[in-house]
Amino acid sequence: MQDAKQAIFDYCKKRGALAVGIASLEACERIAPAGHRPSDLFPRVKSVISLGVGGQTQGTWQMPAKAMAYSGSTETRAYGVAYGLAFHIEQQFGAPSVYVPPDLDPEGGPRVPLQSLKLHAELAGIGARSLAGDILLHPEYGFMYYASVFTELELEPDAPMAENPCPAPSCVSMYRQIGRTPCMKFCPAQCLSGEIDAQGKQKLMRYDMAACAELTQEYEAVPKILAEAVKDEVRSQGAEGLLDPDRKMLWYKVSAGSGAWFAQCFECMRVCPIATKAPQADPVLRSKD
Amino acid sequence: MTREQLGITEAMLATFGETVFQMSHNLQTREGDPVRRLDWVEIERQREAMGLADGQIAERLGLTREQVMFIRNSEESRRFRIGQTAYLLDLGGGRRYRPERVVRLEDRFSYSEDALRLRGAFRFDAELARRYVERGWWRDDTLPGWLSSHSKTRPDAPALIAGQVISWRELEERVLRFAEGLRRAGVARGEVVAVQLPNTPEFVIAFLAICRLGAVMSTLHMPYRGAEIAALLKHSRAKLGICLPPSKNLFNDIGRAFAEIDCAEPLSKDVPGPVAADPFLLLYTSGTTAAPKGVPHNYHTMLSNARLGVPEHRLTASDRIVSAAPFTHLFGLYELHCAFACGAASVLLPAFTPPDLSALIEKEKPTALWTAPAHIAAVRAQGLFDKHDWSSLRLAIMSGSACPPPLVRDFSSRVKDCAVTQLWGMTETQGALYTRPGDALEVHCSSAGRPSPGTEVRIADGELQVRGCLLFPGFYDNDEANAAAFTADGWYRTGDLAAVDAAGNYSITGRVKDIINRGGVKFNPRDVEDLLDSHPKVLQSAVVPMPDPILGEKACVFLVLRNKEEPVRLEELTEYLLQKNIAKNKLPERLVIVPDMPLTPTRKVIKGKLKLPE
Repeated sequence: MQDAKQAIFDYCKKRGALAVGIASLEACERIAPAGHRPSDLFPRVKSVISLGVGGQTQGTWQMPAKAMAYSGSTETRAYGVAYGLAFHIEQQFGAPSVYVPPDLDPEGGPRVPLQSLKLHAELAGIGARSLAGDILLHPEYGFMYYASVFTELELEPDAPMAENPCPAPSCVSMYRQIGRTPCMKFCPAQCLSGEIDAQGKQKLMRYDMAACAELTQEYEAVPKILAEAVKDEVRSQGAEGLLDPDRKMLWYKVSAGSGAWFAQCFECMRVCPIATKAPQADPVLRSKD
Repeated sequence: MTREQLGITEAMLATFGETVFQMSHNLQTREGDPVRRLDWVEIERQREAMGLADGQIAERLGLTREQVMFIRNSEESRRFRIGQTAYLLDLGGGRRYRPERVVRLEDRFSYSEDALRLRGAFRFDAELARRYVERGWWRDDTLPGWLSSHSKTRPDAPALIAGQVISWRELEERVLRFAEGLRRAGVARGEVVAVQLPNTPEFVIAFLAICRLGAVMSTLHMPYRGAEIAALLKHSRAKLGICLPPSKNLFNDIGRAFAEIDCAEPLSKDVPGPVAADPFLLLYTSGTTAAPKGVPHNYHTMLSNARLGVPEHRLTASDRIVSAAPFTHLFGLYELHCAFACGAASVLLPAFTPPDLSALIEKEKPTALWTAPAHIAAVRAQGLFDKHDWSSLRLAIMSGSACPPPLVRDFSSRVKDCAVTQLWGMTETQGALYTRPGDALEVHCSSAGRPSPGTEVRIADGELQVRGCLLFPGFYDNDEANAAAFTADGWYRTGDLAAVDAAGNYSITGRVKDIINRGGVKFNPRDVEDLLDSHPKVLQSAVVPMPDPILGEKACVFLVLRNKEEPVRLEELTEYLLQKNIAKNKLPERLVIVPDMPLTPTRKVIKGKLKLPE
């Protein structure tokens, strides 16, 4: 079992994953709501593999906010590694496996995923929930994108991280002074709030996902914009409703499948010391170790 | 699944929408770190606070999962606001979110119906516009931009001199405070604010503040009263009128005194300023022959003309310019535009009288003077050149009406080191023709000079026609006037008769509408008027056509006597004219003595108001 696990880790890291872990299937099944458990997707699942792919370079965090989403496309690289891993396990170990689609549940609306990749990663010990709306952070790798594979191969689960890197000491210091951490203060949607206890640990995290989604989830804006455009069409009796610059940008993204499609706000991460100063986030530096 | 299939009603949405939203993952609260710790008790206890799945909500509310799904989606869509990504446009590169700095795009400004209507009047020929931009005539010049630039680079240099000296920095501060007052008074971008003030700092501050807000100033001449003001306010759709306190009642409920608008707080820097293509002036023609017509201008037309004119007039930042013409007239505004273009100081003369102008020039020592011929004639008539020191002047620009050559010659002889130039312009063009310092005296005396940079002129059927980067786009809300005013190839018919000499200097010889058609023989009465004005008993004359059943039209002369005690007869005048070799068909055939002439603010006779007695 250990050999298989090491082989899987080696495969993932060779293809660019920064972190790999095995989540407890039992915990996943117990925590995820009905319809979103691993067994709901893959009934004979024995193991949940989670992997994380690194985020931006140091320089990326200096880019204009509107350009951030186009930089990296790291989530698709994570998906690519996981997709290959599923084939790899089947070929090497003969165990049926699935790449877990990172997509939304068509029955659940635009904010409900088929599976919580975040839950898998947290239970696999490769990320811990932050005050920034539960975005997972890793003390070595910072802010990552995650992907999962379900397999019938039995693998020994890892434990969640022993310590949560969030809040960082500098964030605790800021909180002590103004009652807010950088992510709370600089969120353009002001969707974050919370408390830090006397030991400098997370006490309370509040996240207004609806407010966050207005800024970040453009796919949700499409039907709304279309509805507005139709109203404008009627008012203007012309094509202005569909062709104003904002709307044309969306049609472009729809037709081109362009980046910045799922999320395009990184302001909480831009001010996060863990995300931006993660010592092992740089793959070039990492390769020298 | 449709709403009907699921049995969802409006009543059900209203009843459960908020609850479903609150219970869903849209609003999440987490205490401590229970998942990482695998603290099962806390995970279960907090499950609801972390947001429930639709099935779990359905169990709590006694609905089907499909119903919850539909209700949640409907509620999310109902609340969802689009356009939030605009928040991101100013972030990054070291700039962080600050709530006080955020003005949502849709909250920044929106144009009212009236503002859009005025903006709709700005249609220029696309090919010409492209050419103006290519040649650098049109660029992003705005008055607030110029003000800000002078305030930064020469903060303590004088901007206005009106008893006290107001520096560029102080002027900008006062403009921003007044702009905030205007904003609080409900003035929005693109809307018209009428201004009826004398040439005071308050006028300049109000003007620049209106511009800073992106609004449009419409001037009302100081003599205007009830009927005139009402007509112009109605046509301009003015949102507010700024005037002297005693005149407020003439503006109905939109009249405000300057002090009522002025504000202690400055306008926020986040309020976007105008751009050069924005309208900023809606002026009304002086209407010498017809009812006033609305002339809209944007910064492109006006400021390109001023910027390009400054070196032609040899003005610099060290100049001090005084305007005898009122700022409610475009000639007066041209003084401000030129001063703002180069950073010169404006010396303010609240209202022209010959003694006040003379005393101001002696005291403040301006280097340049904007004046009408009538101003100089009045100064000369009162002997004020000899009583005051006018030697500071280096430039005088005379405009507003025909300039008699003897007056130019005489004025030049009295201000030795001053270039006495002529300028011809209209509300529709600002400065289109002018003589330049350095031209020979005879050029200044006999012509209005050559086209300003960026201006093209031609003479067609004797009429002067203009086009160029200075030309207004067309009369506001007046298709009939526009149809008559422009040629098919886009030239503006000025209505002035002109001639051009071999050196390219244009002289204005009369008005097309003043032409008298006597039995099929047309003539321009300008030369008759010039001769009559030189008659010792005549102070001012105006020759106009009068109907005649046989010849169609004949000439009638209106006269203001130099001395009421010394009347003059028609025969005396015709004999005088014949001695001067005037053709007989041009002789006036009726004489009307009037106490004074109806005049425009630049002292031009409004012939349309001269009515033949019964």
